[in-house]
Amino acid sequence: MRRARIRAHIYCALLVLLLVPASNWAQSAGSGDQATIAQLVEQIKQLQQQDRDLLERIRILEAKQPQTSPVAVADTASPPTPPQSTEQTPPPQLPSATPRDWHEVHGIQFRGFGEVDYQVLNQRQPELGTGGFVPGSAGNFYTGDFGLFLSSRLTNKASVLSEIVFEEADAQQYKVDLRRMLLKYDYNDHLKMSFGRYQTNIGYYNWAFRSAAWLQTTANRPLVMEYASNGGLLPTQAIGVSVIGAIPSGKLGLNYVAEYGSSDTIRPDLNGDGLVTDENNGNQTNVGFFATPDGLRGLQIGTSYYHDQISNNVLNASGAQVPPPPGSLGPSVRYGQTIVNAYAVYVAQGIEFLNEGFLIRDALVGGSLHFDTPAFYSQFSKQLGPVRPFFRYQYVNASPNNGIYDDVGLRFGPSFGARYDLNDYIAFKAQFDHTVRRGERDLNGLHLQFAFTF
Amino acid sequence: MGAKSITTLLLLGLAILSFTPPATAQDSDVAVVVSSGNPATNISLGDSRKIFAGTKRSWPDGQRIKLVTRGPGCMERLVLLRLLAMSEIEYKRYWTGQVFRGEADAEPLTVPSVGMQKEALTLFPGAISLVNVRDVKPGMKVIKVDGMLPGAAGYPLH
Repeated sequence: MRRARIRAHIYCALLVLLLVPASNWAQSAGSGDQATIAQLVEQIKQLQQQDRDLLERIRILEAKQPQTSPVAVADTASPPTPPQSTEQTPPPQLPSATPRDWHEVHGIQFRGFGEVDYQVLNQRQPELGTGGFVPGSAGNFYTGDFGLFLSSRLTNKASVLSEIVFEEADAQQYKVDLRRMLLKYDYNDHLKMSFGRYQTNIGYYNWAFRSAAWLQTTANRPLVMEYASNGGLLPTQAIGVSVIGAIPSGKLGLNYVAEYGSSDTIRPDLNGDGLVTDENNGNQTNVGFFATPDGLRGLQIGTSYYHDQISNNVLNASGAQVPPPPGSLGPSVRYGQTIVNAYAVYVAQGIEFLNEGFLIRDALVGGSLHFDTPAFYSQFSKQLGPVRPFFRYQYVNASPNNGIYDDVGLRFGPSFGARYDLNDYIAFKAQFDHTVRRGERDLNGLHLQFAFTF
Repeated sequence: MGAKSITTLLLLGLAILSFTPPATAQDSDVAVVVSSGNPATNISLGDSRKIFAGTKRSWPDGQRIKLVTRGPGCMERLVLLRLLAMSEIEYKRYWTGQVFRGEADAEPLTVPSVGMQKEALTLFPGAISLVNVRDVKPGMKVIKVDGMLPGAAGYPLH
């Protein structure tokens, strides 16, 4: 009992010893000592930082060592020189700061994008053969687009950009397409001009993903946004001038797009009949606006209006003109093509939610005949670690009487799958497509893809 | 172990804890810093988001903006990702896309230390970076965000 009391006393004394300095420290911390402690802590931090910086410099110097070693070897072969006195020895030069190696980006910057695909369909009838898929085969491997992206800054405001794509065509032949070749001049954030071959800013998808499969979540583009050279409906490219910039609008974050250029769209029929439509476009005008409001991070809403004149000039595989079916209008007839687009996308917090709608109107010049082709797609995906499951639904409805898109008809259906990022450069995608077609059996497809960047 | 011993240990624990200085809000704030010659003194949170996303590319005087960031794992990087509402994987993909779209010459310059951040700010007159407020050094000009300096109540970057 007595021993317990003594132990309690000892503990109490210990506690008082611990608490008193603590309370003293707490009291004095409010006065001059706090400043001293803060100073000491700051000095320690600075020393630690200097230590880290020195280590980093040593690491960089060591990395450079092999480049200087041949000189060192040569020095050993030369006759020995008398040692210099300490006074004569030049002061040791500190390794130049790494920032000296940093520079604004000059010279040619090079990047590449590629893909390897395997696609299988549940039919052997000829169907759209994009990027090397053989129409009529049940399933085959192909390489899609292999893109080389080059850019170079010329001055503080001017730069050059080009995108050269090697695209697999029939029988593993490759065609070269200069998808973009632009002389860019950024006067300021309100006026950024590009001259050359550009990708039209109709809608969001074409702007956001360009032609790199690696950037896309899905294995392929929505049909309406597919490249015209792959059977897509929109004029995806033109040569001319494209201007884009911010409109002073505060938290609304409004921007404009204005384009004027010459298109020459040649699109193969989707139904695999081997025919192509040479639209013999005139000069196209495209005007659009989009907003990225400050209050809703990741939200972008926009609209665009496109106009051009086109023909329905159908050619066969050898380039000869195919006579129009009886009762239909010939290739000399011009249509005014108007494309209205609106979109709302949300890309933030791991979520990608893309929604775009289109109305393509082909109206006979000098007549009242016109055809409306509505189309939309909606795509949702969510990043879950390295995996991004996705779902997409798309719809295109072209009139069977519209000679320009008679191969397209009505097509709609879901696609779903997942993208798995193996690392920062390689992604694997698996996608299942179900397409309902007017007057045809439903089409099911499985698309596997390795997409990469380098 | 008796009840008295447990009480004693608890009291000792409390006493030790009383030595730990309390963390302040200021400790976790991240400052927006620019080169000392940059005339900017304040930016809105929206503009800072546009700048670090590479969509706003020049200062009001026409100077090109140069982004200097810290690598993955740093507090500044986490604040940057929060500002842009992106994960690390999305951030990398986003910048690859920005370059490919022609919206940027290159990805932001990533440096491994505060010292190098400071040197980058000296080297590039249009540079901007995020620095933990405790690591701000002479030569780094801290600018206000939405009219607030780090440490102020309601400062948004932490």
